[in-house]
Amino acid sequence: MNDESKPTVEAYKQYIESEDFHAYKCVDCGAVIAPPSGTCYACGSNKMEWTTVKGTGKLVAFTVIHIAPEAFKAEAPYYVGIIELDEGTRITGRLKGFDTNHPEEVSLGSRVVLDYEHGESGNTYLAFRPE
Amino acid sequence: MPLNNTNIVSGAQTKFGALKGISLREMFAEAVDKATADAGIPKEDIQAAFIGTFIPEMLVHQGHTAPLLLDFAGLKGIPATRHEAACASGATALRAGIMAIESGLYDTVLVAGAEKMTSVSTNKVTEALAAAADDDFESAVGLTFPGVFGMAAVAHMDKYGTTEEDMARVAVKAHKNGAKNPLAQFQKEITLEKAMTPRYIAWPLKLFDCSPISDGAAALVLTSNEKAKEYTDLPVKIVGTGQASASMNLCDRDQLASFEASVKASRAAYEMAGLSPKDMDFAVVHDCFTIAEIIASEDIGFFEPGTGAKAVEDGITAMDGDKPINPMGGLKAVGHPVGATGVKQAVVIYRELIGDAGANQIPKHDVGLMHNFGGTGATCVVNIMRRSDA
Repeated sequence: MNDESKPTVEAYKQYIESEDFHAYKCVDCGAVIAPPSGTCYACGSNKMEWTTVKGTGKLVAFTVIHIAPEAFKAEAPYYVGIIELDEGTRITGRLKGFDTNHPEEVSLGSRVVLDYEHGESGNTYLAFRPE
Repeated sequence: MPLNNTNIVSGAQTKFGALKGISLREMFAEAVDKATADAGIPKEDIQAAFIGTFIPEMLVHQGHTAPLLLDFAGLKGIPATRHEAACASGATALRAGIMAIESGLYDTVLVAGAEKMTSVSTNKVTEALAAAADDDFESAVGLTFPGVFGMAAVAHMDKYGTTEEDMARVAVKAHKNGAKNPLAQFQKEITLEKAMTPRYIAWPLKLFDCSPISDGAAALVLTSNEKAKEYTDLPVKIVGTGQASASMNLCDRDQLASFEASVKASRAAYEMAGLSPKDMDFAVVHDCFTIAEIIASEDIGFFEPGTGAKAVEDGITAMDGDKPINPMGGLKAVGHPVGATGVKQAVVIYRELIGDAGANQIPKHDVGLMHNFGGTGATCVVNIMRRSDA
């Protein structure tokens, strides 16, 4: 693998912006890692390569943001959740397709699938919707 | 081995709240004066200063705060270093002070913290606080601090059956204690019904689950055994200290219903002190949100995981309970000027231990623990303190 294909945080963010999510993968033990880490949580290796994921997973936590930072003010209320991908890594993203008025109806463990959301801030967010 | 040379000989805070018209440096100087000159400790005796401020760059457009603040407070010239660890900034400054005394490098040092937060909008403060989370990967999708603890609450509710009402009870207790504390931002009791007002900040956290946006400062003087006698007959000894870090990203944690840095830091402090949770008379924990107090009370080993909410309901953590927690009102009622908080927590322990807590005095006050927590729980500091004659 040449240096240009070595994963970087900048390129990771760019992949999300282009709606083409890529995760890091540990060259030594194969662990899938996202968001990026300089060191593999499983084996300690610092050799990473890109991988793609199925995009499916389950919801492990969520909240509905009502009071948002300046940049996201116009989007509130919105869901943010933590998703455990089927590849094992956990990632934070927006949730789509859930009613912000009824968070009590959302169950942890729900199956979700990768999607994207275009914020009014002009950025593209990693998002997940019901599978 | 317990620490054996660090003594707190004075501690003070300004009133916390929206201190309109009072700047960062002015509130800092007030806390320093109270903890030094007003307490009979000449400023000339202070050899170095360790200062906690979180993000004055965004809140008041000011960096390099340590020399600036020291100069205004009449301490120009001595080594002055700023410590930043989000909401744990104050306690990391305190740990640096502890290390400075224990090492023998200095006899007497100042530890202080301050934050001015109310001069910008709530959304701006929310943005500044969000800078204490991972900007690229979590803040970037719009996660906020109430959101971080909202997710912890969802995990705790799911795992242990904790309810919104359980969290509201923490707020009721905080306001009850704060009502007696003249330095608290909120000096008014609230009913459970009021605490349950459905004004969501980050579901399931409501307005009354959140600590407020505050201004304020706090200061402590630490000194060696040798010098302590010159200042007071009743110093408080810091006998154990622990600090731990964890992943910035909440999503990188195996567990959301507990904060691993709190568990690690408290175990390290207990081990150093040669004490255990049952030896603690009370604790001051980082209740930035009501759920944070419930989880902290479990993480520091006061209660089994999942039983923190019941301890509140049973009155065990009330001022007159077996294990009072946040007897002066906590961050929730007293306020949370971020950089000042960890120092203020130590001031509270100091005042309770020496019997100087006024209407907030708890009956049994020999040994106390403070738990100060930064950001998503990526930093935690725990200190254990004992009155010198206990």
